[in-house]
Amino acid sequence: MDPHMLVDSSSLAPLPVPYWFIELFKVLGFTLHLVPMNLWFAGIMTAMFLRAAGGEHAVVFSRRLMRQMPIIVAYGVNFGIVPLLFMQLAYSQFFYPATILTAWYWMAIVVLLIPAYYGVYLYSFGLRDAEPSGPSPWRKFIGWTSAVLFMTIGYLLVNGLSLTEHVEAWSLLWGNHQVAGAATGTGANLYDVQILPRWLMMFGLALGTTAAWVVLDAAWFFREAPEAYRRWAGRFALGLATVGAAWFAAAGSWYVFGTWPDGLFERMFAWPTLPLTLATAVAPGLPVALLVLMAVRGFTRAGATSVAAAQFGALALNAISRQVVQNIRVGAFADLAGRPTEIEWGPLVTFLVLFVAGALVILWMVAQVVKAARGAA
Amino acid sequence: MHYPWWYVPYLTAPMLIALVAVVHVLVSHYAVGGGLFLAWETRFAYRKHNRGYLAYLRRHARFFVLLTVVFGAITGVGIWWTIGLASPLATEVLIRTFVFGWAMEWVFFVIEITSAFIFFYWWGRLPERTHVRIGMIYGAAAWISLVLITGITAFMLNPGDWPARGGFWVGFFNPQFVPQVVARTGGALLLTSLYVYLHASLTIKDAELRELISRRSLRPSFVGVVLIAAGGAGWYAFLPPSAMAVLPTASVLNVLMAAVVAMTVVVFAAIWFGPYRNPSWLSPGFAAMMLLFGFGAVTTGEFIREAVRKPYVVYNVVLGNQILPEEIPRLRQSGILAGGTWTRALVVERHPGLIVDGRLDAGRLAALGHDERLALGEVLFQYQCNDCHAARDGYSAVAPLVRGRSPGAIQQMIVGFEKTHFYMPPWCGTEEEALLLGEYLAAIAPPKPKGMRLDGQEEDR
Repeated sequence: MDPHMLVDSSSLAPLPVPYWFIELFKVLGFTLHLVPMNLWFAGIMTAMFLRAAGGEHAVVFSRRLMRQMPIIVAYGVNFGIVPLLFMQLAYSQFFYPATILTAWYWMAIVVLLIPAYYGVYLYSFGLRDAEPSGPSPWRKFIGWTSAVLFMTIGYLLVNGLSLTEHVEAWSLLWGNHQVAGAATGTGANLYDVQILPRWLMMFGLALGTTAAWVVLDAAWFFREAPEAYRRWAGRFALGLATVGAAWFAAAGSWYVFGTWPDGLFERMFAWPTLPLTLATAVAPGLPVALLVLMAVRGFTRAGATSVAAAQFGALALNAISRQVVQNIRVGAFADLAGRPTEIEWGPLVTFLVLFVAGALVILWMVAQVVKAARGAA
Repeated sequence: MHYPWWYVPYLTAPMLIALVAVVHVLVSHYAVGGGLFLAWETRFAYRKHNRGYLAYLRRHARFFVLLTVVFGAITGVGIWWTIGLASPLATEVLIRTFVFGWAMEWVFFVIEITSAFIFFYWWGRLPERTHVRIGMIYGAAAWISLVLITGITAFMLNPGDWPARGGFWVGFFNPQFVPQVVARTGGALLLTSLYVYLHASLTIKDAELRELISRRSLRPSFVGVVLIAAGGAGWYAFLPPSAMAVLPTASVLNVLMAAVVAMTVVVFAAIWFGPYRNPSWLSPGFAAMMLLFGFGAVTTGEFIREAVRKPYVVYNVVLGNQILPEEIPRLRQSGILAGGTWTRALVVERHPGLIVDGRLDAGRLAALGHDERLALGEVLFQYQCNDCHAARDGYSAVAPLVRGRSPGAIQQMIVGFEKTHFYMPPWCGTEEEALLLGEYLAAIAPPKPKGMRLDGQEEDR
């Protein structure tokens, strides 16, 4: 079946904002989502390993991270709304068929998220109740279960989003999972060769983000941290970030050189996208280099902040590259940028004003917390 | 049509929306009212230096965060997930129209979770005034998010002038907007009181404190009942004519309307005779009974709100079968099978040459075998009927409704649906397709029940 037959743009009305605005907020939202998402994706597993097999400082970090995790998950889920909203606005003719074809797997994300998130809370409350002896065996079991659930959720999400840009796979999936032309939603898309490398690539990035969090937490949030802990944090973060960068390089190479279809490869390795492709590939190395520098010069707040900023940059580059790849792949089926626009200034300006006002309110609240913390210290 | 239809056996896909939405609504209303309750009562407790009440409010805040930030937030995402799967065209239209409404709501979500976490985790570490202010910020943000999402959901029931004029604000400030905001605000206040009664009855042993809480939650619950009544009246007054006509037409809706009123009265009476007149009655069993009746009233009300929109998902904008009204003339020319993206692809794959010049070729269609015609009839059923009806068994199954009818009789019924049943979508395909659907339905319909005594004669046993 010609995949072009399955892409329908006839119902699409003009966009209420320019296409570039949608892409900007989609990438910005996805980058913001990546930070907490990376922390639960690799961070929970790391924390559980450190609790099981780490030394004194490792256990301290494990406890700190898992006590922060309920808040991290809340923001991660919340920030995920933005890219999905703008994706449904500009890419509806790709997003809806892909998710409908894999509907039960897509729904499973929501179903699994509830026990995964409650598991984090249960484990976190256990830390508070049981310190310093540590969580009970059943709470550890819950912690491990949450870690596995969050990794599974990541896989399911990649499954659905990969299919969004892999239109060529729709007809086979639909043909095998339908009742009288209606999709049963039981197609798993598991034979898509891109899913595993994309998932693994994200895990590599997530290890880097967890490493950056180790030093950022030690520098800014763990005020009473002893010097020995900070030294441990720098060393551990360096090791974790190195593993993450190597992992990212391996999975990324598999993804790029092993799964990219003809055309995509040529476009991503040609001007003007070549610098972006190369920058995305090497970006996870920068936090590692900065951690090496910090290991030589000593742990500083400035050093930890620069590591976190470099990791954020790596995540942003990754988000931009993913967007470019997505545009190239679905661009073969629809003229996304050429879609007519009828800008609605009223709601657009109202949103931007509220966005700024909301940020100011949040800053005020955070300032109150900082003030109270300083007063207590 | 534009998107593949999602087949959910027995239940039908849109009923999944109802299930997820109802579960979410029971928590999301508490997320609004509970925030206002916590901020207001914490202020009161600080002023009165009531340590016992403050300790209780802190425990309640923990319960509140655990329920609303996790279950409430994730089921909210769940609704979004489900509507995209079960009503993709309607979701596409809503997102195109209200993308900045959702974006604004997201801003308030971020404020909500930030303030909720600070309010709970920094309890006792912030100056009292700041603590209360942050609680108030949460309450205000949560209520504004209720207002924003209500503008969108109310639009689905009555978009007012939007189909003619278009535009965000025309759609947002629709005729149903104010009544539904009023009713939902009332629902949030009333449900919160019922949650508080149950939570307090389960966790507080001190009779004096329990009585205080019982008394303090009276005012919001009574205000809630008044707002629900006023909003409900406004909801009815601003229903579009077809929705108003559905209410007395469908017997199940008669029963459900009566049930909503009855359950609301029971809750009101229980609060009056319980917490108001006899605060000592506030036992876990009594509080659970009140909350269950409250849940019953809210879920039944939500079901009615959804049901009266038929035959639309978005009134006058998107039909339940995921077709835009303006597409009907074209589809009646081309037919559904040739005119829908996914149905066309299926027919081209299975019956090459059947579509000629953009529509089914009558000669080749007539030459198809019986099984092939039934298979095409089933495709038509999936894309035209399954949004509200299961086929043989399940939710509102069609087969039992057409027992004993011939394919031709079903065809005649289908093509004139909108003339005889205003709550059914008009037939969007050709007459030949209506016959295909009639053949399929006749084939799966069970036989007419035997043994019925009609016209003085008993039919064959």
